[in-house]
Amino acid sequence: MVAPDVLVERLNRGVRKRNARCTFVSDQAFGEALRLRRFRLGNGLTVLTLVDRSAPTISYHTWFRVGSRDERPGKTGLAHLFEHLMFNETRTHPLGEFDRLMERAGAEANAATWTDWTFFYENAPRGTLPLLIELEADRMSNLVLRVPQVTSEKEVVANERKLRVEDDVEGKALELLYANAFRRHPYRWPTIGWMEDIRGFTVRDCRAFYRSHYAPNNATVVIAGDFEERKALALVQRHYGALSGTRLPRKTTVKEPLQRAERIVRFPAPTPTPKLLIGYRAPAFSDADTAALVVANEISFGGRSSRLHRRLCVDEEVALSVRGSISPFVDPGLYEMWFAIREGATIQSVLALLDEELGRLGSDGPAATELEKAINQLELSFLHTMETAGGKAEQIGFHETVVHDGAAVFDRLASYRRVTAADVRRAVSKYLRPLRRTRVEITPKSP
Amino acid sequence: MKVFVESSDVLPLVDVEIALPVGSLRDPAGREGLAQLTGQLMRFGPRGLSRERFEERLAHLGARLSVEVSMRTTRIRATVLRRNLEAMLALMARMVWEPALRGADFAKLKRRALASLVARLDDDQTLGAICFREALFGTHPYSRPLSGHPESIARIGVDQVEDFYARHVANGAFFVGVAGDVIDAEARAMIAGAFPSVARKKSRSAEVPPTRLRPGRHVVIVDKPERVQTQLFIGTLGARTRDRILFPLIVSNTAFGGMFSSPLMQQVRAVRGWSYGAYSRILHSTQRDAWYMWSAPAAEYSAECAALQLDLFEHWVERGITRAELGFAQRYLINSHCFDRDTPAKRLEAELDIELLGIPRSYVEKHDELVAGVDRQRANDATRARISTRDLIIVVVASARDVAGAFEALPDVQSVEIVPFDQV
Repeated sequence: MVAPDVLVERLNRGVRKRNARCTFVSDQAFGEALRLRRFRLGNGLTVLTLVDRSAPTISYHTWFRVGSRDERPGKTGLAHLFEHLMFNETRTHPLGEFDRLMERAGAEANAATWTDWTFFYENAPRGTLPLLIELEADRMSNLVLRVPQVTSEKEVVANERKLRVEDDVEGKALELLYANAFRRHPYRWPTIGWMEDIRGFTVRDCRAFYRSHYAPNNATVVIAGDFEERKALALVQRHYGALSGTRLPRKTTVKEPLQRAERIVRFPAPTPTPKLLIGYRAPAFSDADTAALVVANEISFGGRSSRLHRRLCVDEEVALSVRGSISPFVDPGLYEMWFAIREGATIQSVLALLDEELGRLGSDGPAATELEKAINQLELSFLHTMETAGGKAEQIGFHETVVHDGAAVFDRLASYRRVTAADVRRAVSKYLRPLRRTRVEITPKSP
Repeated sequence: MKVFVESSDVLPLVDVEIALPVGSLRDPAGREGLAQLTGQLMRFGPRGLSRERFEERLAHLGARLSVEVSMRTTRIRATVLRRNLEAMLALMARMVWEPALRGADFAKLKRRALASLVARLDDDQTLGAICFREALFGTHPYSRPLSGHPESIARIGVDQVEDFYARHVANGAFFVGVAGDVIDAEARAMIAGAFPSVARKKSRSAEVPPTRLRPGRHVVIVDKPERVQTQLFIGTLGARTRDRILFPLIVSNTAFGGMFSSPLMQQVRAVRGWSYGAYSRILHSTQRDAWYMWSAPAAEYSAECAALQLDLFEHWVERGITRAELGFAQRYLINSHCFDRDTPAKRLEAELDIELLGIPRSYVEKHDELVAGVDRQRANDATRARISTRDLIIVVVASARDVAGAFEALPDVQSVEIVPFDQV
C-alpha cells in the first residue's frame, strides 16, 4: 500500500476546490492482516477504506448520523421514510434508474434506519466502484422530492407498518415497550413512526429533513473489499468534492428520568400463547458497563446451554424460546428480553423463574468455565460478522457512527475478554432490578 | 465417504457439514415430521453424554451446531473456532453415529414440537406458504409440511425414530464438508481419524411420482381474525431440476419478478405502494416443484392486488419478455453470481448440493454460460411450456369476511375454500 501522506499528496495535485481536498487522518490495524485508513474531504465527508482481496467483491456503505431520535413528535418516521425516498428520482437519474443500474451491475442495494443512524449500502462485484460512487454522491445532494414519489412511498411504509407492527405480535410489543419505558427521550417513538404521522408527511417536511441531515459533513463512507484505494479516493474526490456541507441541527441530549418503579403494560392480542417482553434500563453502547452486560446476556440467553434457555425451555418447559439483547444505542437504552411462553404456562411463572435466575447470577456470579464459554461464543459471533466485505463494512460504519471509531470493533472483543465474574455480578445487580424494568404482557384474546 | 474441503485463511473459523441424502420425503404417510424429529433428537447428543454435558461441550469449543431437515436432505452444520476443529469433528461424529436417542429426551422434544406448531399460528407468511403447497400438490409428498401436524406428531414414538435412524442414517451414505481456516490434507486427516471409514452403499433418493396440476383456478382463504394486512401467494407447478429448459425459465422468471426492477415489484410496490414487496420464485426438484408470486397487500386492496398480479402474470406468459428485459436479467444473474461464492461456506454448499440434490455440475461451473446462452425465443417458449395461466392456486391469509367476495370475483375462479388458520 502507498504511504498515506504520499497518497494524499498525489490525490490533491491540481485539486482546487477546498471541498474536494483530501486529508489523511489515521491508519489502524484491523485484525491481524488488514488496515483501516481514514481520510476526510474538505466538505467534512469521512471516508474509511479497508482493502481486503479475499473475495472478488466490494461493499460500499454510507452512514448518516440521523435516525428517529432526530425527529419530533408529530413527524415520527421521517428518517425511515427517507430510507425509502433515497431510492427515487434525482436531478440526473429518473425514477427507477438507481435500482436498474445497480441490478444490471449485479449489485445488491439496500438500507436500514434505527434510532441513531441511517445507512445505505451496496454489495457489488469488484470493478463497479465508479458506478456506486457516482450514484451515492448524486443522491446525497440531488434527490427530487415531489408529491407522486412521497405519496407512493408513504403508502409503502404504511403497508410495512401494518406488516411489521399492526399484524405482528412481537412488533407491537416492542413498540409498546419503548413507548412506556421512555417518557422524555426520543427513543420512545418507533423508528417506523406512528401511523398518523406517516399519513401526514408533506413534501415540505421531506425537503426540510433532507437539507438538514443529508450532507457530506453528516456522513461516513466505508469502502471494503477488493479495490484500488487510490482510484477509489480519486473518484470520491471527483463526485463528492463538489458538494457542500450543511449547517447541522444541534443534537439535543435528553436525559431520561430515573425509573423508580416497575411499569407493566397488558395487551390482549389474537395469538395462541402468552408472550412476555421486558426492558431493563441499560447503559449506552459506549459505556464501560456494556461489555459486562453483554457477557451476562450470553450466559443467560446465548444458546442451548445458557441458563435461561435450559431452565425455561428444557427443564421447566414453560417457554418455547427465550432471547435477550442490549440495545446498541448512543444514549442509554434497554436490555430487552423476550419470552415465547408455552400453552398452559403463565407469564407469572416465567417471571418468577427469571427473577430467580437473575438473582442467582447477581449474587453468585458466573463460574469461571461459564465465563470462558460465553467469551468463546462471543468470539464466534464476532468472527461471523466479519466473513464478508459487507459484514466488515457494516461493523466499521456502525462503530464509526456510534462510538466515533470504525476500528473499535476489535476493542469490543478485547473488552469482552477482560470481563470478570465480579464485573458480571456487579452489572447484573446494578441494572437488572425489577424497579428499573418495563414489562409488556401479551395474553391471548378470546375469540 | 466423500470429503469436500474449501480452504481459506481469512478468519480463524471453520464450517463443518455432515450431509445426508435423507429428508421428509421419507416420512411414512400419517407420520409426517418423523425425519425432522429424528434430526432434532440426534441433536440432543451422543451416548455417554447427557444433553446438558453435550451442550456445555459445544459451547466451550466456541461452536454452534444445527440440524436442518428438508424434503430430501438432512444437514448437520457447525461453525467452530479454528483452534477447536479437531475436537468438534470428533464430537459431531459421535453425535451422528452414536446418538443417544433417549426416551426421556424424546418426550421433551415431542412436547416442544407440538408447542412449535401452536406458535407457528402467529406467523402468517408461514401459514400461507404451507397452505399454498398443500393446495398445489394435494396428496403428493411435496405437500407434506416438514414439521408435520399435531395428529402426525402425536402418532410418532421413540421406537419409530430409532427405526428411521437405523434405516436411513446409521448405514446410509453421507458427505462431509469443511470450509475455512484449514488446509486440505489436514482436514482430511482429521476427518479420517474421527469418522467411520466403512464403505457405505449409495443411498437412492426417495422416489416420488410426478406432480400433477389441479385443473382450474382455486382460491383458498386462510381465515385469521383482525388482519389489516394479507399474505398473498399465487402459483402453479414450476420445473424439475434436470428440466432442459430450467435456465431459460430462471432467466424469464428473473425478468418478470426476480429483481427490484422487475415489472412485478415495480407495478405493485413502486407505482402503487400496495405491498412492501412483491416477487416471483421458481423452485425445482426431482419432480416439478412450485412457481409462485408473493406479496403482502393491505386487506382493503388485497383482491385488487391479486387481480393486478394476475394481469401481469398473463402478460408475461402470453406475450413473453422483451429483448431488453432478457438482457437485463442475464446481466443481473451473471454479475451477481459472485455472491453465491464469496465465502468458503457458500462454495462448500454448492459442492454438497451437487451430490445431495442431483444438481448437474454444469449448473455451478458453467452458470454464466448457461445464463448467457438463453435467447428470447427459448425464454418465452419455456415460460409458456411450463407455467400455466389456467391452472392456478391462489392463497390469501386474511380475515375471510373482509376479502371472500372480492377473491371469488377474480377472473376464472372455480372454487373458494375457507380454512380456519388454526387448522392449517
